[in-house]
Amino acid sequence: MSNKKTLLIDCSEATFCCDKAQYKEASVSEKLKMLLHLIYCKKCKKYVKNNTKLTKLIEQSDIKTCTEEEKKAWKEKIEQEITNQ
Amino acid sequence: MSINKIDPNKWVDKYSDYLFNFTIVRVNDRELANDLISETFLAGLKSMKNFKGEATERTWLISILKRKIIDHYRKSNSKKGRAEIKIQYSDDSNEGDWLEENAPDVLDKTAEDVMENEELGMAILDCMQQLTDKQAKIFKMKTIDGFDTEAICNEFNITPSNLWVIIHRARMTLAQCLEKNWF
Repeated sequence: MSNKKTLLIDCSEATFCCDKAQYKEASVSEKLKMLLHLIYCKKCKKYVKNNTKLTKLIEQSDIKTCTEEEKKAWKEKIEQEITNQ
Repeated sequence: MSINKIDPNKWVDKYSDYLFNFTIVRVNDRELANDLISETFLAGLKSMKNFKGEATERTWLISILKRKIIDHYRKSNSKKGRAEIKIQYSDDSNEGDWLEENAPDVLDKTAEDVMENEELGMAILDCMQQLTDKQAKIFKMKTIDGFDTEAICNEFNITPSNLWVIIHRARMTLAQCLEKNWF
């Protein structure tokens, strides 16, 4: 599509930029286009607000994930116990 | 009301992150947390027949885990006289520092903050249950573990645009789920 030539982007592209921006993967020109879109689009403005808040909450919560090895070890223990029963 | 069923083969994939985050804030030791979760799974298997399906599987597992954590503290309390303060020097550069410098800064994080963050973490993990397994896995890898887009695409054999669609849907679901209480 011709989005490289025009500064005006649609909502799906704006939300896509916003998602990428949450992971610091949006380019400067993408961010500029998104900001321009936000001037006249209330819906996307709300999306950006909520999405940014979500990023902050996840950082603040300090959630940890289990490693694949840890999960594997648990799975093996469970399987073993089931076959022993 | 539908009766909740039990399926031990799915426990690890479905609940381990939830159980782990619940445990780690209470025992603050990864290895110990792992052991307590192992014990919880095994105890769960043994008492499966007592599961009446009134609570969800996860609530039931958490109740077993809580007991395991309490048992752990009981045991460690009974070893009287062995209590001591241990300072662990994580690397050489810390060695010789004053005790005060190793103590957590009370102004930095209050107990209330810690509690609220824990509650928040559990709420987020709770909302993640609404995602599909694949969405949850990819979202966690990208957002919490911070993997590259490329690495995740390779692992799941998807294109970057597939990945961003999955991330977008996951974020929409989570934001919607958290909006009422946390936004």
